[in-house]
Amino acid sequence: MNPEPFLHLDKVIHEKGRLAIMSMLAASPELSFTELRDALAMTDGNLTTHIKALQQEGYVSVAKSYQNNRPLTTCSLTAAGRKAFAEYISLLEQIVRQNKPK
Amino acid sequence: MENNDWAVENLQTIRTLMERSTLYRRALAPIMLLAGIVGLIAAAIGVHFRLNTVEGFTLLWLITAIIVVGGAFLIARKQAVKDSEPFWSPPTKRVAQALVPPFTAGLLVGVLFSLGSKVRLVDFIVLLPFLWSFFYGCALHAAGFFMPRGVRCFGWVFIISAGIGLFYVMLVRPHFDVNGHWLMGIFFGGLHLAYGGYLYLTEKKTP
Repeated sequence: MNPEPFLHLDKVIHEKGRLAIMSMLAASPELSFTELRDALAMTDGNLTTHIKALQQEGYVSVAKSYQNNRPLTTCSLTAAGRKAFAEYISLLEQIVRQNKPK
Repeated sequence: MENNDWAVENLQTIRTLMERSTLYRRALAPIMLLAGIVGLIAAAIGVHFRLNTVEGFTLLWLITAIIVVGGAFLIARKQAVKDSEPFWSPPTKRVAQALVPPFTAGLLVGVLFSLGSKVRLVDFIVLLPFLWSFFYGCALHAAGFFMPRGVRCFGWVFIISAGIGLFYVMLVRPHFDVNGHWLMGIFFGGLHLAYGGYLYLTEKKTP
């Protein structure tokens, strides 16, 4: 078996919580912090930590605004994040294909 | 790395989450408001025209359900076209699959009650709204996996209210006449209208 694709998997995205955030954001132009937290059943602290990690990598951008006089934090994937996510999926598919019994 | 199960699981998780995310953005407020208004109108029609046979009752509310489901699909389609997304997308298909079993159970109960209506006419009309609410709550809860958490809570409101109502009607037995149409009006019309109004006021507006 060729271990090459596995070695190239993006370790930042590969973590379960961050993969879930990236997946949700990949299918949506933007999602609010609350929507992400509720959909993924994460705590505020956990979600903040993961988003910060993704932000540092340049995969996610965070915007702060106000809605009905209440602060609103929205997250979206950056172009780099979208590209890294597509590459991650492509590598996973490669691994699945490679291990498929012939 | 002995097998590729983890990779298959990851791909499945990604797919499910992306599907959830797609539906998460669907604006539910207009659908809920439509269901509420149509429900209240149907209740008023039922009371006004005294549709007090089980057959008449079932037919009226079956037509109401068809109008609401049809309207909901039209609203969802309009949203999908606006967002340049396919209407019959995999997530929409999954929601439909989640809704079909409880809806079918509700329809079967309605048909069975209609066929057996000669046995106990009035009680059936009182029981049907609770049973339908019960199944509808189950349907909302199942479909809620792909929607905001509020939809699942809304499903529980139907299930719990139906349970309390059934308990009250069957065991406590009310000392007043219970009108099935008003029950439907309160359950389907009132609850949808209240939830739709809440969503309308709190939903994030997209420019």
